[in-house]
Amino acid sequence: MRAGLFTRVVSLEARKQMSYRVDFWINAVMGFVAELTIAYFLWAAIFQARGADRIGGFTFEGMALYYVAAILLAKLVRGQSKDLTIARDIYEGSLTRYLIYPCSYVLFKYAEHLGSLVPALLQTLVFGVMALFWMQIPGDVQIDSLSVAMALTLVVVANMLAFLLRFPIQGVAFWADNVWSLNVMLRLATELLGGLLLPLSLFPPAAQAFLAWLPFPYFFYVPVQTLFGRVSVGEWLAALGVMSVWCVVIGAIGAMVWRRGHRVYTGVGI
Amino acid sequence: MSGKRGEEAMIEVEGLSKSFWVHQKAPGLMGSIRSLVRREKIEKRALQSISFRVQEGEVVGLVGANGAGKTTLVKILAGIVHPSDGDARVLGYRPWQRDDRLRRRMALIMGQKAQLWWDLPAADGFLLLREIYQVPKERFEESLERLVALLGVEDQLQVQVRRLSLGERMKMELIAALLHSPKVVYLDEPTIGLDLGAQRAIREFILAYQQTDRPAMLVTSHYMEDIERLCERILILRQGRLVYDGSRRQVTERFARYKLIKVLLRKPAEADDLAYVDTIGRRLAHSEDQIQLEVERNQVASVASALMARLSVVDLAIEEEPLGHIVERLQRAQQEEENEQMLFDVGMQSGIS
Repeated sequence: MRAGLFTRVVSLEARKQMSYRVDFWINAVMGFVAELTIAYFLWAAIFQARGADRIGGFTFEGMALYYVAAILLAKLVRGQSKDLTIARDIYEGSLTRYLIYPCSYVLFKYAEHLGSLVPALLQTLVFGVMALFWMQIPGDVQIDSLSVAMALTLVVVANMLAFLLRFPIQGVAFWADNVWSLNVMLRLATELLGGLLLPLSLFPPAAQAFLAWLPFPYFFYVPVQTLFGRVSVGEWLAALGVMSVWCVVIGAIGAMVWRRGHRVYTGVGI
Repeated sequence: MSGKRGEEAMIEVEGLSKSFWVHQKAPGLMGSIRSLVRREKIEKRALQSISFRVQEGEVVGLVGANGAGKTTLVKILAGIVHPSDGDARVLGYRPWQRDDRLRRRMALIMGQKAQLWWDLPAADGFLLLREIYQVPKERFEESLERLVALLGVEDQLQVQVRRLSLGERMKMELIAALLHSPKVVYLDEPTIGLDLGAQRAIREFILAYQQTDRPAMLVTSHYMEDIERLCERILILRQGRLVYDGSRRQVTERFARYKLIKVLLRKPAEADDLAYVDTIGRRLAHSEDQIQLEVERNQVASVASALMARLSVVDLAIEEEPLGHIVERLQRAQQEEENEQMLFDVGMQSGIS
């Protein structure tokens, strides 16, 4: 796929996303304010009930900041991954168009995926700056240019990993038509084991050690800890290594599902 | 197989077959519950050993009832679906291998499925297609200007595709499909759901494109007028089998049993006149000043003179039976023949015959 086509698809998708103003603001409010409010009051109650200063290594302020960072970075990692565009293309037969065009479906979808990140990027910037002004930064959190650069690098790779994960999961639609429940399960697993629902430091050490070999912690928990300056350069490089291996593995499984799926695709709707 | 062997064919199909496995579910709630555990699968043979060739500049009509296999054939030749058996080459490539060198020179227009991006104005979609097909800027602008002028849609280019009427959308789809000057074009129901004016405009456009660019075209349509106006050659499919491959005119010459007589009357026909008309032919329609009837070909002269003698005729026209009637009858006759054969076979097996 040529660079000119790739950038045009990114730009068109970004413009399309921005043209839905109501959706932009609902997504911004519901996807940040509502989620953060729930986490805030839940942890306020837990800290009060336990009467402890720290839980899982986090003070209450540190925990609130963790959720702000995790929710905002999750927007950049997942983009519009809640939707089922690939499964829908298969189920409704829209994939036909991409089979006829002389371009790669995967790259076309990746360009669309990047374009759809623009609203998320804007929301993250706006809410991130607001949070830095209003929130108290605890002493054990060290956000500097190096930690921001390291965290953003992880976010870029995690974003690609999240994108690649769509293909083996949503590709099941070649055989099963409806993969909504499979997608919900993946989303729940990612949020729980990735550290979006709660920091992974609350898990038992053995579970944490095991999870470190899976792709999930690298979606939210590790990027947030990196942003907070709690990950050394060595650990960061190891994280990049594990993520790259998972990119290759998931990409290979996705390619296999895709190759076999093409053979049973019937192009419904025409 | 039709198509001259000496010339290089743009589309070559040899013994092509396609089978699908279709799940079957018993009706009702119990059927649904049972299907959660076990589902019956039946094999549906959509195409059975199809062979034909299409040359440059040829427009070939694919004709057949619903489920005859027309769209499946188009899907295989466009590279959307893999065949189960046999082979096909389009411009020398196997379409299902999806070689970009073929995809850059091929187009599929689907009347029932939008290909343009729903949320974008058509003009933006065209620019995206220019990038996809890597059409040089000057050639793109020249093609766009020509196609837009031919279809008269200059004013709708900046409108979001989802806000266009069906006819306007179809015109945009045609432009989108032809911007890269394809050498092989598949048109699947290109005029479906359109009003008569839009149907005519699209047919004229396709013909104009065919004359200037000389692509090989395969057209499927349930509107026989599309086939009659666009195609010199037709392929008739029935239950996945190719039952006729030849000139459209020959279908009429070989298989037409009837002719149509249209009579324009000076004054309305009386009831006994109509009763008389019914004894000499099959009345298809009548109004105050017009009668239309179907008569056996060898009776045309005698029926025409009888009508002239009995009615106050202003004008009388004799026309060939519409292609659609002939195809329908041809398919029905073959079905009856097969049913008879099946009954015969069953009779032989049970010792009745």
